[in-house]
Amino acid sequence: MSDKGFTLDYQKKELPIKAKYAGLAFTILGLIIVIVSYITNPERTAYNSIIGSSFVLSIGVASLFLIALEYLVGAVWSVVFRRITEFLSAVIFIVPVLALPFLLNMHSVFHWSHVEAVAKDAILAGKSPYLNETFFFVRLAVIFIIWWLFYFIFIGNSKKQDKTMEQSLTKRNTIFAAIFMPFFGITITIVAVDWLMSLEPHWFSTIFGVYYFSGSLMAALAATTFAVVRLAKLDLFGVKIKSDHYYSLGALMFAFTNFWAYIAFSQFLLIWYANLPEETYWFINRWEGSWKYISLGMVVFRFVVPYALLLTQPSKKDPKRLKLAAIWILFSHYYDLYWLVMPNYSKSGIAFSWNELGYPILCVGIIILIFTMRAKNTNLLPVGDPKLKRSIEFHL
Amino acid sequence: MSVDYTRELSVIEGRPTFAEITDLISKPLETRPNKKYYIALTISVTLMLFGATCLGLTFVYGTGMWGNNNPVGWAFDIVNFVFWVGIGHAGTLISAILFLFRQKWRTGIARFAEGMTIFAVMTAGLFPLIHVGRPWLDGWLFPYPNQNSLWVNFTSPLLWDVFAVSTYFTVSFIFWYVGLIPDFATLRDKTVNNIKKVIYSIVSLGWRHSNRHWHHYEMVYLVLAGFATPLVLSVHTIVSFDFAVSILPPYFVAGAVFSGFAMVQNVLIFVRKIFNYEHIITLDTLEKMNKIIIVTGSMVGYAYAMEFFIAWYSGNPIETFAFVNRAFGDYAWAYWTMVSCNVIFPQLFWIKKIRRSIPIMFIIGVLVNVGMWFERFVIIVTSLSRDYLPSSWGIYTPTVIDTGILIGSFGFFFTWILIFIKTMPVVSIAEVKSVITGGQPTHHGGAQ
Amino acid sequence: MENRNLYSVTGLFDTPDEIVQAVEAVQKEGYTKYDVNTPYPVHGLDIKMKLPPSKLGYFALALGLTGAIGALFFMWWSMSMDYPVVIGGKPFFAFPAFIPVTFEVTVLIASVGTVLTMLFLYFRFPNLSHPLHDTDYMKSVSNDKFGISIEAEDSLFDVVRVKKLFEKLGAKRISEINFDIAELNKKPKIFELKFMVFLLFTAIIISGASYFTLNKLLYMEPFNWMMEQSRVMPQSHSKIFKDGFGMRNPVSGTVARGSMPYMFAGQPDIAGEKLVNPFIPDEKTLTLGKKKYNTYCSPCHGNFAKGDARLNGQFPNPPSLHSDKVRTWTDGRIFAVITEGQNIMPSYAQQLTPDERWAVILYVRALQRAVNAKEDDLK
Repeated sequence: MSDKGFTLDYQKKELPIKAKYAGLAFTILGLIIVIVSYITNPERTAYNSIIGSSFVLSIGVASLFLIALEYLVGAVWSVVFRRITEFLSAVIFIVPVLALPFLLNMHSVFHWSHVEAVAKDAILAGKSPYLNETFFFVRLAVIFIIWWLFYFIFIGNSKKQDKTMEQSLTKRNTIFAAIFMPFFGITITIVAVDWLMSLEPHWFSTIFGVYYFSGSLMAALAATTFAVVRLAKLDLFGVKIKSDHYYSLGALMFAFTNFWAYIAFSQFLLIWYANLPEETYWFINRWEGSWKYISLGMVVFRFVVPYALLLTQPSKKDPKRLKLAAIWILFSHYYDLYWLVMPNYSKSGIAFSWNELGYPILCVGIIILIFTMRAKNTNLLPVGDPKLKRSIEFHL
Repeated sequence: MSVDYTRELSVIEGRPTFAEITDLISKPLETRPNKKYYIALTISVTLMLFGATCLGLTFVYGTGMWGNNNPVGWAFDIVNFVFWVGIGHAGTLISAILFLFRQKWRTGIARFAEGMTIFAVMTAGLFPLIHVGRPWLDGWLFPYPNQNSLWVNFTSPLLWDVFAVSTYFTVSFIFWYVGLIPDFATLRDKTVNNIKKVIYSIVSLGWRHSNRHWHHYEMVYLVLAGFATPLVLSVHTIVSFDFAVSILPPYFVAGAVFSGFAMVQNVLIFVRKIFNYEHIITLDTLEKMNKIIIVTGSMVGYAYAMEFFIAWYSGNPIETFAFVNRAFGDYAWAYWTMVSCNVIFPQLFWIKKIRRSIPIMFIIGVLVNVGMWFERFVIIVTSLSRDYLPSSWGIYTPTVIDTGILIGSFGFFFTWILIFIKTMPVVSIAEVKSVITGGQPTHHGGAQ
Repeated sequence: MENRNLYSVTGLFDTPDEIVQAVEAVQKEGYTKYDVNTPYPVHGLDIKMKLPPSKLGYFALALGLTGAIGALFFMWWSMSMDYPVVIGGKPFFAFPAFIPVTFEVTVLIASVGTVLTMLFLYFRFPNLSHPLHDTDYMKSVSNDKFGISIEAEDSLFDVVRVKKLFEKLGAKRISEINFDIAELNKKPKIFELKFMVFLLFTAIIISGASYFTLNKLLYMEPFNWMMEQSRVMPQSHSKIFKDGFGMRNPVSGTVARGSMPYMFAGQPDIAGEKLVNPFIPDEKTLTLGKKKYNTYCSPCHGNFAKGDARLNGQFPNPPSLHSDKVRTWTDGRIFAVITEGQNIMPSYAQQLTPDERWAVILYVRALQRAVNAKEDDLK
């Protein structure tokens, strides 16, 4: 029984062709660099592929989380640009391809995959029921299948609703969203443990899954914000995105910057305070040589800068400022992943050269490309969603 | 029963007028307490006095009156402390965090929840003060220049607790008081009793409901909410730092919110029935609270699973033993109580009928509180009872004094609540008026 | 007829929509000194009244930073400069450990400070004597009506015009608010009776409490801070033990630390066979032996063990220690004599520890050798 008085005059507008070209350009350039890098130095490329695929994965699966969250709590303000988040979540399909360099070179990156070394090391041998190649790939397959399944459910229902305008589809998605949440918690933790924490198989931290989650959420929000601001400027939504919407996005980015800092600090403080060698060496590795500056840079780039950019009320409403903050947060997320992964490759100091540029460029390109591909076939506005009117008129 | 997503649900049921709201909420303050109230007060004061007696004995004869020993040097004292601090967090979450997330359904319950926070924090604060060997030296916890030329140890989590709990109490009190100022003004203008008028005039500070003041008031309320949110996270984080496991901060916070919401829900069930606030503290509100209970309960469950996994993954036999001992050692009964009450029973809230059933939700709320108390018990007592050297192992048994102080803390808490509900408005009059149908101008997105 | 006590003219409205429209009109007319009173904040009024954004946020920021810097500075000063203590191997300026307290103090100072700024600086509270208090207007506005109060101070103010405007806008119950003459005329005096009584009362309470605290309370337990402790003093009575003695014997069968029991009581010859001197006559031992000998043995035995006592006949002189008998005794036999005494020589076990006794014996041996030196000793 929807509000019959509301008619939306929605004309589907196309994304500018520039977007697709930009996506293609970045992708091709990135691909070339990655391929050359893989031929010349497969091990280094494998590490970069972990960083890159974790980056894209985090945006994709956290976007799925945001969609589910919107349904679960009945949020209204984000409905108007939910499609953006849906497009972004499509990147979870390409992640296994991005991950190929390290999936094919497990021995270069994962110490626990060396069976003879594991047999000699009592601790690793104890973990081997979990950390072995077979189980690793089984987990990977199952997790991606789960995510792809939920993608089809959420996005499928959403697309269907455009045509049929049935409110029951929203209810269905809400139920699936509730089911999705525990799966999400477990799967994202497993991916973080498998891909990132097990790079250093002797180390462990109970909060690691939450850490990766907080970073992913920031990245997904930032990507969504960036896309919303850009598309709104080109008036592709057909409706006005108000300062109230921007304020909400800005406030969430600000809030989760604080949340990430809280998680990162908790992890650090407890390990620093207890001072147990089996835990501290992970951080000490990130204090060796030039890694020290990267670690200090983390505090500034990942916390201080976004905090300052988004602290005041007016700054949260300003689309230009939001765009800047979004780009910065995405950069700092990649930086964070680099800081997590690369010290395992190069212990003595930073390893940064043309090899490392391949994946960032490729990832940006792939995300844009997939976004434009999805945007081609789908309405930018979820026209069938019963909450759409309230979302457009949303007031703080 | 299908939901219509195009309409915004009204927070307050029916269409009460502003005057009706004022009358309804101020009614308990204008009427004499009835017999049931006096019975409740008698019970809670008796429990409180019993606890006070036990406390007095502890004061005179020392903490040897408790069951604490070596190696279990911390037991009921810290368990109760963390328990009550956790209960306090729900209040701040409801008033501050739900405010920041613009969840209008908080208006019916925010005032009461904030009051509960303050009383819970007061109760919690008693425990660090009494569990030291010489409580009369508690002043030493604060850094002041002294003849010993000593300063406090700023690197100790126990000291961080002192700062955290003091700050939490102060800020929560201010937040609560700032919210009360407009309501005190309303009561001042309504009352005919001269003494009450003087009191309300003083505490309302001369509030005139001027929009020029509301303008700043709203900014300050937002700032306070913005500060209270990280504050509440930090307080329980710092409490968790006493126990040093890295996932503990967010898991402790989730657990605190979990138990706090269960307690708020439990008490509200009574309050709304007794004062006829059912259309202000609606069943929808209670259902939403139960949803939050299941979310936070799941987070707690996730943390349990993560701790277990990492205990195995770490390959550290001490860590692995610690967890196996929890589940199968001397205190296994406490562990399984905790797991069933925290993880299993709240899952019943997936079922809508149960979420909306008052008797069942009450029982689950009680079970959640029991489970959370046992969680702290398991973390503290079970871990301490099995120290590194087997020769240091020892069992803890609570004494009558221990139990007496725990019972007394409930008496203390409920006494304050009973006094609160008869002297101050338990629902925020101003906030409720602002969210009822017709409360805001039409073109500003108010519910019609 | 001008009402010099007129403070403002007020009008009441029933719904939020009405008040918003009314405020818009009032603002358009050019009035600046007016106020709007609502039982709760109504959205959109701030914009209509053209109120600038509240600056309290900046206060919060400034206060917060002050708190943070203050806390960090204090912790740095107290833990690194004034009384540095190595705790847990952490550096004196343990920055990660200081963050929790810094954060708490930041929030505390910012929150409390901002609220106090709002109440005392912005609102000038407490203000219980505002003309609007205790009026029907305030009673309505506190409960269920929305009101505008246009003040007489406004340059455009004219009673008739304002009342007409309110009528046009549909206001209910238009009324005049006057200053309270009595309150205006009242000049607060310092020497008012009530105030003096209050001061006296406060003075009595404070001085009484101070006297009690400093002269009585501090001597009561536990506030006397353990100046007088109910501990057991030597040779004092004790209620804890049945026999009332404070001083207790050691538990039977226990041995003082470092003591070895003497196994040969009453059997000096067996002691002489069994005991062996554990020391060699090096310089340290001989010096110790000499010192102890001179202190304890020489009064009776003489400085060179010849038996020439300094006691002036008050005590019988002992025989010389250079006799054949003593010279052929083993060290252990001499040890037995020192430990138990013989004849009228008392036991010196209390004065000399076993090690000291052995040292003394070595010294005596040196003396014996000196008196009965062989020729090749001189080489």
